[in-house]
Amino acid sequence: MNKLNSWRYSTLAILLTAFAVFIIIQMLRIQISPQAQALRDKGELYSGTWRTITPARGQIYDRRGNLLAGNNTVYEVGVVLDEVENPSTIALAMNAVIDSDYDEVFAAASTAPSSEAVYATLARFVTEEQKQRLEQLAQEMAVAYENKNDPSRPSLAGLSFEPRLQRSYPEKDLASNILGFVNWEGEGFFGIEEKFNDELAGEPKRVWVPFDPNRVEELPEVPQGSSLVLTIDRVIQQEVERIVENAIEQSGSESATIVVMNPKTGEILAAATSPRLDLNEFWRYDEIFVDSTPFNRVVSETYEPGSVYKVLTMASALDSGVVKPKTSFLDTGSIEIGGTIIRNWDSGAWGPQTMLGCMQHSLNVCLAWVAKQLGANKFYQYMQDFGIGHLTGVDMAGENPGRLKLPGDEDWYEADLGTNSFGQGVAVTPIQMVMAVSALANEGKMVYPRIISSIIDNGHQYPTSPRIAGTPISAETAKKLTNMLSTSLEVESSVALVDGYRVAGKTGTAEIPTPFGYTSNQTNASFVGWGPVDDPQFLVYVWLEKPTTSPWGSIVAAPVFSQVVERLVVLMNIPSDQVRQQLLEGQ
Amino acid sequence: MYRVQSITQAYSQAPWRKQLQWIGLFMLVLILLAMVAGIYLSVSARASTAGREIQIMYRQMEDVSRNIEDLETQLAFMLSNTEMEKRAEELGFYPIESEEIFYILVPGYADPKQVILAEPPGSSLPSSPTISPEYTQSLFDWLSERVFYPASPLVWEVEP
Repeated sequence: MNKLNSWRYSTLAILLTAFAVFIIIQMLRIQISPQAQALRDKGELYSGTWRTITPARGQIYDRRGNLLAGNNTVYEVGVVLDEVENPSTIALAMNAVIDSDYDEVFAAASTAPSSEAVYATLARFVTEEQKQRLEQLAQEMAVAYENKNDPSRPSLAGLSFEPRLQRSYPEKDLASNILGFVNWEGEGFFGIEEKFNDELAGEPKRVWVPFDPNRVEELPEVPQGSSLVLTIDRVIQQEVERIVENAIEQSGSESATIVVMNPKTGEILAAATSPRLDLNEFWRYDEIFVDSTPFNRVVSETYEPGSVYKVLTMASALDSGVVKPKTSFLDTGSIEIGGTIIRNWDSGAWGPQTMLGCMQHSLNVCLAWVAKQLGANKFYQYMQDFGIGHLTGVDMAGENPGRLKLPGDEDWYEADLGTNSFGQGVAVTPIQMVMAVSALANEGKMVYPRIISSIIDNGHQYPTSPRIAGTPISAETAKKLTNMLSTSLEVESSVALVDGYRVAGKTGTAEIPTPFGYTSNQTNASFVGWGPVDDPQFLVYVWLEKPTTSPWGSIVAAPVFSQVVERLVVLMNIPSDQVRQQLLEGQ
Repeated sequence: MYRVQSITQAYSQAPWRKQLQWIGLFMLVLILLAMVAGIYLSVSARASTAGREIQIMYRQMEDVSRNIEDLETQLAFMLSNTEMEKRAEELGFYPIESEEIFYILVPGYADPKQVILAEPPGSSLPSSPTISPEYTQSLFDWLSERVFYPASPLVWEVEP
């Protein structure tokens, strides 16, 4: 190396070093500049994506573990805009397969791709079959026009499918009034789905998912929404729903409602009403439930129960000691209470009667007299103890508390004591009546009705327990009245009786009030009964709204009770009284 | 003086030898660096592959969970009460009446009160993380762990 070149090399070295130093300084400057953090944040944005992990909605089972509400896979169909070759073909295919609007799909698929517009949604909740058909079409087109370079060739390029879960109901309309439904947005409406929406839906979690595989992190475990096991038995529910349909047809009723409950545990085994909706087609709700028809009459619709309510009046009077089963009463055909004359259902005078006769012949005059003997304060205290006018707290959305006017209320008159005694002028829901009557069938202990048998959360099953709502009457009173009602059915040879099984019950026929009073001929026909009398396993409540073949509960509702019990004893494995006695003796 | 010079000359190395030594040293450093870089690259590549596999497996887990839900529902459709009734009728069964039933007492038999679909409360421990630290830990993290917590296990066991 000569001296001439030496300074050149030195200069080059200095320049390169200076350049390197400059780069380092610049790097440091950028690192510590005020914009550095903003740049880092921006860089971070492109290093991954925020994802919301939505847990699968919890399932709903019947008491035997049969799935009543589950989830199935549906797809969101969209287009990756810069891959679209022919928007017209996409619109045509979507129209043919999914019945989508051609113009809407065409407009969406024609959107020019940009940094803002990358993807367009074309349809949601597309079924597996529809998705497969679209994929097949796309494949067939790709093969058929593979070698054509014409830019207008038919093509479904750009279509994409994103799977997701949607609520599905394998039993279709079975127990639909109990279950309720979930809309497109995943929100529960009516019944269990609404009442337990938060628990079933679970808690979605938003997580950062880095694109860089070196930065992969463990995704948090997002537990599935809680699952519910109901007290409903799907076989009993289906049988009862069939009986509801037959009852409507045979009695010409506007609607029918039947509730079956275990009076010892409060477990609702079936709660059928009409109309019902195939929950997989929930969008037909407006079509089926017209003119404010309640979704679930069992908890939502109040009505005047009529003579079935007499069991509560008589139970109160027997419990307080005001009357005994053999207390005599002379029925003259009318009684005046608070200025209102109360008459019997047939406007007749039934002469001397015991309390058994009063219940057997369902005498309004006698029960009004009983309520008068009891006194307003005691009567209404008992009614409140029976839960009348209060929510039962059953786990179904839309429960109505009904209405029990009390002394002191602006619209309460003394005459109400008389009419309330036989179930007029008081508004109840079927579930309230069932809860109240459970005291009679369960040795005086009234149980809260239950529809949830257990909750499955985070892999563990938590059973619910029966809860006593109160003891409005003594066990002795419950037994006395049960025997009275059972005897009265037997003496009457009621059509409610079931061969081989001793049951207790009471019919009810209530006039339906209009704005001008009780002026229509329409009635609510009902029957409440339980059995077997020596060891009650079921409590059945039947309510037929506005029957046309006959207005009387004893004619239209009592046989329905009998039909229900005939199926119940088979499905619940309840041997006849005689067989049970033999089996017990054999033990 | 001459003696010292001659000794120095005798033991001094030829310029080409010195150059060779320098080149050798440089090459050694270069090879070491290349080795470290190679190992780093290999480990990084394996970590990236494992990371990518984890990402894919997470996706597959989601797909599998969704499929399970879907299949359960499909099965429930096939086993729905209406379908089962239809199949029973086709096989010649009919709904039994109460008088056709013959009851016998089975000693010790109790009707199960409740269907069991999950474990009872408090029957198992909460699950532990499923990704082993080997997939998330850097070399530096591992070294510092070995230095500061020498008693910690060399390999974390992953619960199945």
